Amino acid sequence: MNCNYCERRCRINPGGTGFCRMYTCQGDTVSERFPHRFSACGTSRIESFPFYHVYPGSRSMAIGTGSCNFQCRYCSNAYIAKEDPEIMQGRMYRMSPDKLVDTARKLNCHNIVFSVNEPTVSIPTLLEVAQAAKSAGIPMGCLTNGFATKESIELLSSIFSFFNVSLKGLSPGFSRQYIGIDSSTPVLRNIRRLAQNRHVEVTTPVIQGANDNEIDAIAEFLAGVDPEIPWHVFRLLPEDEMKDVPYPDISAIDQALQSARKILHYVYFHNFVGSAWVNTLCPACGSVVIERFSLGCGGDKLKQLLCQGNACPRCGREIRIETGKPHETTEEGHA
Amino acid sequence: MSITVLDAREWQTALDLRTGEKAEPARPIVEIVKDVLRRHPYPGDMDPGSNRWVTDTALDLINGYRPRFVFLTYAAQYFSTRYNAMTKIERTEIIADAFLELERFIDATGFTAVVVGTGDMTPLLGLIDATGVDGLAVSTHWSARYAGLYEPSQDDLKLLNKHPHVERIVPRSEILSLFGGTPEQALRVPEYLMIARTGYAFRTISGAMKTPVMIPSSNFTVPVHTPGHIPQALTDIKNILEESLIEHQVALVIMEGVGLEDFLWPHTPCGNGKEWYYYEPNDAQYLTITTGEHRFLDYPTGYKYFDEVDTAKEYPFSGYFTSIPEGTFASRFPGKSIAVGNKSMFMHMVTGADICVECFARNLYNQGTMAVIHRDDKL
Repeated sequence: MNCNYCERRCRINPGGTGFCRMYTCQGDTVSERFPHRFSACGTSRIESFPFYHVYPGSRSMAIGTGSCNFQCRYCSNAYIAKEDPEIMQGRMYRMSPDKLVDTARKLNCHNIVFSVNEPTVSIPTLLEVAQAAKSAGIPMGCLTNGFATKESIELLSSIFSFFNVSLKGLSPGFSRQYIGIDSSTPVLRNIRRLAQNRHVEVTTPVIQGANDNEIDAIAEFLAGVDPEIPWHVFRLLPEDEMKDVPYPDISAIDQALQSARKILHYVYFHNFVGSAWVNTLCPACGSVVIERFSLGCGGDKLKQLLCQGNACPRCGREIRIETGKPHETTEEGHA
Repeated sequence: MSITVLDAREWQTALDLRTGEKAEPARPIVEIVKDVLRRHPYPGDMDPGSNRWVTDTALDLINGYRPRFVFLTYAAQYFSTRYNAMTKIERTEIIADAFLELERFIDATGFTAVVVGTGDMTPLLGLIDATGVDGLAVSTHWSARYAGLYEPSQDDLKLLNKHPHVERIVPRSEILSLFGGTPEQALRVPEYLMIARTGYAFRTISGAMKTPVMIPSSNFTVPVHTPGHIPQALTDIKNILEESLIEHQVALVIMEGVGLEDFLWPHTPCGNGKEWYYYEPNDAQYLTITTGEHRFLDYPTGYKYFDEVDTAKEYPFSGYFTSIPEGTFASRFPGKSIAVGNKSMFMHMVTGADICVECFARNLYNQGTMAVIHRDDKL
């Protein structure tokens, strides 16, 4: 039967697995092979994922499982995302959803963020974690590649109240060559869907000579969905199969973002130490309303929040910052 | 004001180390340091050229600053043996390469070398899973022997005390009795310190999936090369440096992940701790060397580091350090001093040197390089 969790829609034979190797077929259902197993469980700052417009400065519990449904050539977590999940099981944290949430409370974490790998490969476990987190009043967010099916994006939307979707590129050529999928169309569809009722930020790693020619087109797409969507443009950190390529030129990418800054209100350029483009400026008057430090890959942190409530302290313009309570779970089930 | 220059390859910025605010002082020393960083991009922790980067960068900086005291750290062999499965021959070769780099430095400069190995490595035999306790176990994945334990239940203590790979569990009172310290320091000490047997490491929350192949061994003593002196303990090295610098230009060199078994120069076994406690390769070991005092309590293993890094603390680019440690040898040395190393971004905190250049790599991800200029009044 077909697995309908992601747009690969893998055909899985009884006892077999699909592309991500995280689901199998038992009888007439697709089930999770490694429930309640986590590759990561630790504290982090919410800016480090990055989330710049959600609960600024809060302490998060970062979690992850194993594997991925993409095959990015530059994966920063290839030792988790590309490894055979079966081989990894001896190294995984085995924690029930209740234990996980209890640990988050012990660590005084305000929220739980699924990072490290792709949440679509672990949806049943995450539905359980979300239930426990909701009972504890702990909001959940995730990083995702956005390649979930329509059905799964609704499930993810029921689990997480804030998303950072990685929109890696637009063209089929780039998608095939660098991330191993035929089309980014489902990702665009899911960004539109999530932006309707969830907090969404978007990240794009820029690879010179590969997708830097798409910067304006991506910005135009996002502006068409919602110009208030925070956009994180990452300087690629050469890793994995691209370990030996030159580090992208920071000044050139900064220049290439000039048009994007005119149509999107919150454009950030980081993923390198000391970045000067991590502060939030008021879209109306240009005042700095949130200051941050950038320590490079996964190391950003809040310096100070200058907003008064959700408003610019100088001109009063509303700044998009999610500070609300976790949303009500609206739908549960399996794809 | 201490200035830090961050170099992300072909892009640099200068900041106030304490506040993280942009700072571009028009000082000759800042330009000298920026040029050095431009000429020496860091190849990465596991790159074969990593130790060569230390020597090259140090020689370049010496050419521009003319220090009398140099602090070097060579760490590539530590990272490589920790994470790469190697044959004995391969491990021997990579350590020999590190010593060749040291010899290249000494040949080029004529400095008198005081060399400290941080201790032998041993194969990882297994992990002690402390994630299931009712209380909370805290460690970092860089630590092998120790982990902090908070609010354990009676069952936790019973289980852990019986665990075949746990050597012992030490209550806070015993740690404080061993090291003394201020009431403020005592607050950071975990309720209990769990100690693993040789070859085992604790698995706690915030651990890493990159499971090491080798971890620090039981290094109650470490090798020290100090011509003309016989130190009994790490705390003796500071005085040896003071004496040697009267007549010589001196390089204090740390060889990470090298212990008594593999140290290639003539050496003396030297005490690496106190009673039941020995240092692992970390900032506490460095501070003990550079201050001549045991400094376990500054940032004790197993403390709740996350309770301090969340706040808007000062020194945002200096890891968990909340201030510049006092009493370091180089900070009081009247002559010029530099430090260069590829261990991580803490040399500028633990060496006290006027100028420090180090890799900016976090969990092996190579972000670039970082320099800190603590003093420019000696130029």
